Parts: sequence; structure tokens; C-alpha cells
Amino acid sequence: MVFREDGHLSSQALTALAKNEDIFDELERLEIAEHLAFCDYCLHRYTLALEEVPLLVPERSCQKTVWVRIRSRALRLVTSRYATAAAAVTLALTVLWGGSGAEFIPRPILPDDRPSISQQLTGLTGEIGDSLHQTLSGLSDFFDGLHPRHFL
Amino acid sequence: MRGVASITKEQFTELVQQYERLVYTVCFQLVRNAAAAEDLTQETFLAAYLHRDSLPPGYERQWLGRIAANKAKDHLQSAWNRRTVLPGEEEPFLSHSLAPPAEETALRRSAAAEAQAAIAALKEPYRQVCRLCLLEEQSPEEAALALGRPVKTVYTQLTRGKRLLREALERSGEHGIS
Repeated sequence: MVFREDGHLSSQALTALAKNEDIFDELERLEIAEHLAFCDYCLHRYTLALEEVPLLVPERSCQKTVWVRIRSRALRLVTSRYATAAAAVTLALTVLWGGSGAEFIPRPILPDDRPSISQQLTGLTGEIGDSLHQTLSGLSDFFDGLHPRHFL
Repeated sequence: MRGVASITKEQFTELVQQYERLVYTVCFQLVRNAAAAEDLTQETFLAAYLHRDSLPPGYERQWLGRIAANKAKDHLQSAWNRRTVLPGEEEPFLSHSLAPPAEETALRRSAAAEAQAAIAALKEPYRQVCRLCLLEEQSPEEAALALGRPVKTVYTQLTRGKRLLREALERSGEHGIS
């Protein structure tokens, strides 16, 4: 039996799993993985059982390739931030340039407590500045993290 | 002891070196395929790096083991669904809340005692979930709380459990489902 009556994994199943015995069918392995994904008690028993057996060695180590994937993921995040910042700058410039020819147009009378366009633009440019600063620091951190040995 | 938020790239590299074999072993023992286990090992460490701030100091083995088990589970689940869930078949999350599926209709048609017997004969981890949801009419959320399992897992187990029940009832020859 893979599971005990109380719903936890049986000791026999955990031992067989840790000893790398190929006795479970695919559904049973899925059930075991599902259980280990949430049950602290059985995960602890399993990791303890793994201490008693020799661990398997992968044919291809991931010690170098994992950094390639991490850098690739980081690069995607940085380029995504750049795209956002560029879009924000484009929008701001469009608003600024588009508004320059409108100074001879009579301005509507606005309520006193309504923020002016210049106040709104000041806030917008501040946000753009913050975003750019954040992006550049992210990029800087990313390139700081690159080390020649990661490319080996 | 390493601070939770202070793990550096060098420390993470050490973590990979120290636990690569453990993570690979967990992945391989669950998926039984060397190439898939290598990919899952890499995915495990990628996820670990992205969530490195939540690494509980002193519990690296369990933490990585949990991530590896999750990755293996997703891999197996995906492969299982590709083979067993037919196009158009209802999603697990929809099956309980919308129109009653054939399994539930069949169960209603069955005598209560027979349904109870069929559920009692189910293996774990399906028996308790089906008992709570089908016999005691608890919601999957309530069953998840009662059993200490994630809600999503309970939905998955309920769907699979109902399929096992249907197969058992069909085998009995008295409760065929059209």
C-alpha cells in the first residue's frame, strides 16, 4: 500500500522510493509527488530516508546551466522594464509636444481646487524618473552580477 | 547561520553544488526519466533562486525537496492529463460547481449503501476526499480544510476519485453510465 489509512505515505512506500525501487506505476508516482508537495511530515520522512541511501548523480550537472537560465530570466525582466520606461517616456513627450501648440487656445475655466495640467505633468515626470532610476539600477545590478566564471 | 534575505550569488552557487544530487534524486525517483529529471532539477534551482528570500535557514533540504516534488508533480500531472483528459472533458474546477457530471448522477441513482461501499473500497488518497465531498456533501474547500490538503489537490483528487468510482461501478455491471 502506498498510503496509510490516515492518508500519509506508508513507510514501505517511502523506503522503496528512497531506495530507488521501480515499483510504482505512473499514477502512484503522481499521487506520491502530490502528497510530498504539501505534507511536511512525509517530506521530512522522505528526506530522512534519503540520508540513508547514496544519492543519484545526474549525467549532466546543472551547476553551470542553471546560471544561464537565471541570467536569461533576469534579462527578460530588465528588457521588460526598459520597454515600460520607453513607453512612458514616449507618452510623456507626446503629451508635452502635443500641448505646446495649444497655448493660444482659450483655456476653459476650471475649478480652483482642480490640479493643473502642469502639476499633473510634474507628477508624471517624477514617476517616469523613478521608473527609469529603478530600471537602470536593475540593469546595473544585473551586469554587476555577471561574472566571467558564469560563462565558463 | 545564513540570514534569510542575505543569500548571495556565491551562497546560492554553494547551495546548488551541495544539493544538486538530492534534488536530482527526488526528481528522478518521481518521474523515472533521467532527461526529465535533469530538466526538473534545473527548474527547481531556478524557482529556488527566484524565491530565495523565502529560504528558511537550516531547512534547505526540505525546502528544495518540496520545490523538487512540486516540479515533479507538475510534470507528471501534465503528462497524465495529456493522456487521460479528453478534449471537451470538464475541467476539475468546473465539474463540482456547475452541471452535475455523470459520476454524480450515477451515484445518486445508486443505492446509498452501494455508493458507500464503493467509496469505502477506494484507495487513499481518494477515499477520504470522496467520502467528505460525495457522501457528506462537503465542499472541496471544506474537505481541504478538514484533511489539511491544498484545495487544488482536493479538486484533483476528487476528479480522479470520481473517475475511479465510475470505473468500479461500470465493472460491477449494475451501474453503467451512458
